[in-house]
Amino acid sequence: MSEPHVSRPIWQRINPQDEHLARQVEHARQEHLLLDPRYPLEMDRGVLDPMSRTGPRYWIFLVIFAGLVAMWGATWTAQMLNGLGITGLKRPVMWALYIVNFVYFIGIGHAGTFISAALRALHVEWRRPISRAAEFLTIFGLATAGMFPIVHLGRAWKFYWLLPYPNERQIWPSYHSPLLWDLTAILTYLSCSALFAYMSLLPDLAMARDHTIGWRHRFYDLLALGWHGTERQWANHETALNVFTYGIIPVMFSVHTIVSWDFAMAIQPGWHSTVFGPYFVIGALFSGVAAVIMVLAIVRATMGLGYFLRREHFDGMGKFLLLLSLSWDYFYFNDVIVPWYGQAPVEKTIFALLTGGRAAPVFYLMLFSNVIVPVALAFKRVRTSIPAIFIVSVFIQIGMYMERFMIVPITLGQNDLPFDWGVYVPYLPETLITIGAFAFVVSLFFISSRFFPLIPVWEVYEGQVMQGLRRIGRAILPERTE
Amino acid sequence: MPKAWMLGLFHEATPTATAIDHLRGLSISDEQITVLSGMPFRPEIFGRPHYRGRVGRLALLGAFLGLLFGLFLSAGIWLLYPLAQGGQPLVPVPPMLIVLFEATMLGMMWAAFFSLLIENRFPIVKSQLYDPRITEGHIGVLVEADERLSLQVEKLLNANGAHHFQRIIEPERLLEPRRGTWRDAGTDFLSALRGPDPGHRGFWLSVLGIVTLLGIVSMLFAYNLIPFPFPTQMENQVSIAYEQGPRLAAPAAAIPVQGPVLAADQPASEPIPVSPDSLQRGLVLYGVTCIICHGPTGTGSGTLSSFFNPKPADFTSAPIQGLEDDTLFLVVTQGFGLMPSIAENLGVQERWDVINYVRSFKK
Repeated sequence: MSEPHVSRPIWQRINPQDEHLARQVEHARQEHLLLDPRYPLEMDRGVLDPMSRTGPRYWIFLVIFAGLVAMWGATWTAQMLNGLGITGLKRPVMWALYIVNFVYFIGIGHAGTFISAALRALHVEWRRPISRAAEFLTIFGLATAGMFPIVHLGRAWKFYWLLPYPNERQIWPSYHSPLLWDLTAILTYLSCSALFAYMSLLPDLAMARDHTIGWRHRFYDLLALGWHGTERQWANHETALNVFTYGIIPVMFSVHTIVSWDFAMAIQPGWHSTVFGPYFVIGALFSGVAAVIMVLAIVRATMGLGYFLRREHFDGMGKFLLLLSLSWDYFYFNDVIVPWYGQAPVEKTIFALLTGGRAAPVFYLMLFSNVIVPVALAFKRVRTSIPAIFIVSVFIQIGMYMERFMIVPITLGQNDLPFDWGVYVPYLPETLITIGAFAFVVSLFFISSRFFPLIPVWEVYEGQVMQGLRRIGRAILPERTE
Repeated sequence: MPKAWMLGLFHEATPTATAIDHLRGLSISDEQITVLSGMPFRPEIFGRPHYRGRVGRLALLGAFLGLLFGLFLSAGIWLLYPLAQGGQPLVPVPPMLIVLFEATMLGMMWAAFFSLLIENRFPIVKSQLYDPRITEGHIGVLVEADERLSLQVEKLLNANGAHHFQRIIEPERLLEPRRGTWRDAGTDFLSALRGPDPGHRGFWLSVLGIVTLLGIVSMLFAYNLIPFPFPTQMENQVSIAYEQGPRLAAPAAAIPVQGPVLAADQPASEPIPVSPDSLQRGLVLYGVTCIICHGPTGTGSGTLSSFFNPKPADFTSAPIQGLEDDTLFLVVTQGFGLMPSIAENLGVQERWDVINYVRSFKK
């Protein structure tokens, strides 16, 4: 509890004499990270020490996941040598699992930006310890997603033709096409997310530089660019972070809208819907926040970060996830009711396929996972229990993957020409590459968790300095300044 | 007069602010003091002047440059190399807005990042007066003053609660201009914090040089000035021009372009002998199946004949009547030219009945 005229460091605790008040203070400190300051060196070590701890389990899992990534490489090589014919792609399902993965991984990347940028803009303080892991998920998801259009090219070595550069063929990429808007948007989003993450990392890299020796010290010394924490450095840093915060939020909304326009601009029944823009954005946030929860649960358990990641964070994210689930339900209903009401023949066949036909298991699994299961998040006991919210998040991942599978290959199989209908069955190459992609994201997390501090300690420390406890009447309540 | 740089470490904010306040009493100006911290403190906390940097304005400039780049991508390319594509005008407005938005944001954020690096003089390679405890929550006050003030500064900082003090004194270099060089790590600690830094400029100029060089080299490849044996140059493709030989042999069951012949694996079919019953059946079946194109008198002037070019066959003409029975059977079974196959309308016996009837048109 702070008294205005006595100054002492925030990590020196004072407990009030009164037992009732002392219990409240203790409870507040247990529940809220920002009301529980420790000596910063302890926090620094709490983040840095797990980074050097790599036991046998770590290496075994890393080898397994790296092996799956190598399997992606081998399968892709085989596909480049033999052509896309070895996959299950055939008329009319020209876009299948690769595009599903593309949309899915971009989707899970949106939550990182929302947590680190939008929650920062809204001064939501519990975003402080979670923003870095979330931002890393964005970067890794986008990097993985960005590979899939190239995998889907077949002749992947020609991908550079997509870039606007002067060439002897005098052909430029056509910005009339949503695929090029997609390329521009994703390159913007990926590069700016990476720069944003790096800028937020700078003070923590300086902290790591100051508290490590040997090769780690040299590595962080190089990356910290000589950060010393002067006023000028912090002021410029703050301005740049603000520019990125307010800039990357509209870019985030635009990216998945533009991805949705890859589908909505085509005159394919089931795709040509004007609600696709916001529908996809909400779906992305939905699957993304669930993915962030999963990542944080695993990181917290395996790296002993229980001081930083507390029930309050999972509670906050769980509430947000419930809100997103209800929003997704609303947008999906919008997407469904308009064609249902119009009763156009081809739309009717699509509905018949989804509700009672071959695609029914996918459809009902999707509805169960996205609509029914997240209702559990309305209960605080579920939100504050990390295993429970992890299981809900897994269901949401399954549900959102099924949603994209339903939108891409299943809907493509029923177009306006019945003689051209087809059923898509995933063959081995795309299945192995999909598994490899998931393993790629996990491997990147494995590696980055040992090189970069996953908790932004400077932001936590700033939050702790700016928050305190105040007595009002018989209660001790948190107070906050900015 | 030699300069001294001093660093005092404090535990927390209030004594730091008091110490800075007292330093003003020694006529040390705000520019000679810098606060080092592990988290951003608002300047009011230490009574410091607000620092208004250029990052925001440079980001705005970057946004404008991004906008120009977006204009080039969405409009400039089309005006340079017009290629009319169906459905959209050459410079369509909605896609242009999308591209302009993305390019503007890209320019704004990249400009903010690079101006952050440049304004903070990153990367700072010269050694600085610093203490690792800054990142452990301690606050540092860095003072630059004349050497004769340094003892007073030390006493003042210690009196206000500094628990650590460091001092570096610049050796006698009275007449040399204060300029740091890339390799000079001994003195000039604060010049990296403000003022032009030739070493820093050198870093960014070399980055620019490398990027430009990479761009030029890749253009050399793009314009084929350095011919690279890409395995997929379009002009080296296998030619699949059908008019060039050698012709592939036709498969066994293929119908030659001259018309239907008795195909090798077609089952031979016995004609039905001409009889009044056959002719009667043929008349009725002709009236159902054939009359609409070939006409009631078999002259190829049926209702639909005006839609066909060439017209349906004239059964009264000598060339048609000169055809073999097998040929007529195959024409009905397989179709010929614009005539579809009638096999699904007429069974084998029925086809022969129609052919018998058609023979009766002979003049």
